[in-house]
Amino acid sequence: MKNYLLNLQTLLFVTLLAALLWPSAGGTPRYLLVLVIIVELTALLRSRLAQSAATRQGARDVASIVFLVLLFWQLATARFGLLDKMLFPNPESVLRMFVTELPDMLKGLINSLILLASGFSLALGTALPLGLLVGWRSRLFHAVNPFTKVMGPIPPIVYIPYAIALLPSFRSASIFIIFIGAFWPIFINTVNGVFDIPKGLLDSARVLNLKERTLLWRVILPGAMPSICTGSTLGLLFSFVLLAAAELIGANSGIGWYVKNFADFADYQRVIVGIIFIGIVVTTLTWGTERVEKRLLRWRN
Amino acid sequence: MHEIAINNVSYAYGSHEVLRDVTFTAEAGEFICLLGPSGCGKSTLLRLLAGLDLPTSGGITLDSTPITGPGLDRGVVFQDYSLFPWMTTGQNIVLALEQAFPGKKKSEYREIAQGYLEMVGLGSAVDKLPGQLSGGMRQRVAIARAFSINAPVLLMDEPFGALDAITRARLQDLLLTLWQQNAGERKTVFFVTHDVEEAILLASRVVVLGLNPGAIRGVFTVELPRPRVRQELYLKEPFLVLRDRLVTLLHENILSELEAGETVASVGEGI
Repeated sequence: MKNYLLNLQTLLFVTLLAALLWPSAGGTPRYLLVLVIIVELTALLRSRLAQSAATRQGARDVASIVFLVLLFWQLATARFGLLDKMLFPNPESVLRMFVTELPDMLKGLINSLILLASGFSLALGTALPLGLLVGWRSRLFHAVNPFTKVMGPIPPIVYIPYAIALLPSFRSASIFIIFIGAFWPIFINTVNGVFDIPKGLLDSARVLNLKERTLLWRVILPGAMPSICTGSTLGLLFSFVLLAAAELIGANSGIGWYVKNFADFADYQRVIVGIIFIGIVVTTLTWGTERVEKRLLRWRN
Repeated sequence: MHEIAINNVSYAYGSHEVLRDVTFTAEAGEFICLLGPSGCGKSTLLRLLAGLDLPTSGGITLDSTPITGPGLDRGVVFQDYSLFPWMTTGQNIVLALEQAFPGKKKSEYREIAQGYLEMVGLGSAVDKLPGQLSGGMRQRVAIARAFSINAPVLLMDEPFGALDAITRARLQDLLLTLWQQNAGERKTVFFVTHDVEEAILLASRVVVLGLNPGAIRGVFTVELPRPRVRQELYLKEPFLVLRDRLVTLLHENILSELEAGETVASVGEGI
């Protein structure tokens, strides 16, 4: 109990509560108060469920950092007005705005996710089988490798002008850019994954006289899977970055468009709301891919 | 008849001569141990028998048919990497069964696999991944798989080399029991080892390979009656005499190599 009361997290929590509840002109920031209490409860729950002392401390430290940022933000804007009012709206107003804008942003998110899913699944559907084949057939590898080396590192945004000129619509141009962004990391990592399969396992496959189809499907694909997962995660993150870029081309909705649009109108309150929303979406995506990866690579531990 | 004839086989890896002019015939049902120091080409010889590599010159025949590649008439157990780590032990064996006996029902394959796992004392491990098993258990599964395809020939490349002494002894006994079980249809076994006692315990004949280049230094028939019991064996005169001869032969070879200024351990093992 004493240990609980005298740590940094609790200290900051109490300080923050005091700062929020201190009577001021704007009244009590209720949204912020709720958020702070949610963070505190989450931290307590996480540290209670933690398996080791290190993760328990980690849960507390994360909460401490969040409190520190909120405290600084609140004091510098609402309390003392140290920062420019237009560029740095106070946390309460941003939270309020977040709640009212959420339905619109979710609608935009659906459009964004459709673009993302189309581009990414197109990339996965082509890069994966091609990568397996190129990694497996050494003649193909030697023929293709120089082109991979040249084209892989080219940043996909440079294709935007061509995509717009050659493809019929904004949608197809965006999907193409996202596709390119995800294609190379998946392709290159798949090829490397095939190379990294221990030779002994391939010998085991050979002595079983597996047909090439069975070999590719049951040995090469799972053997390369750790690397394929790395490539796909990278590809997905690239796609997400490019999604924002693609939405600059000519979208009229979507999460990238949202931030860009309101930045043009100097509505920084909505810009911050959009950035926070993107952060939440990316975190959710990453969490999802980690789950899929764990499931696919269960055999590794 | 599962006679294996190795005729004037040489194998070179680039300019490095690994095996020179090896000639040897294993009769059906014999248990042959290939014994030699690291780098003598014994593993290479096993790979040639498995059809994973082809001799630079000379040839190997199985029942007078030349070996030109891997085949399901030979079961192979490696020191590691025999099992696919992403498949359960059951799936590993089923995959082999599907190749050897195509056209059966899934449940049938599973049942047969279960039976072979029980044979090596791992009946309850059918749904375990190799990563969840100890090294000794994994090798038992690999042996079960090699037996499951019912190949007349069994090739083993230091299968117990990475195991602790007790597990190793248990698996040697298990292997002998399985091999002796159906006396009429004994498999022809080639077993690579660098352990003299292991070779004498298991083999009907021990083939000693020497270094630089790998060539046969001697072939010794082990005249000890079966079933061989480890504890009694170690006290018997013929065992001690044979062990002494093999150890001397191996040491002579290694010492002469050392005097010639070569590093014994680093030459081409495993290629």
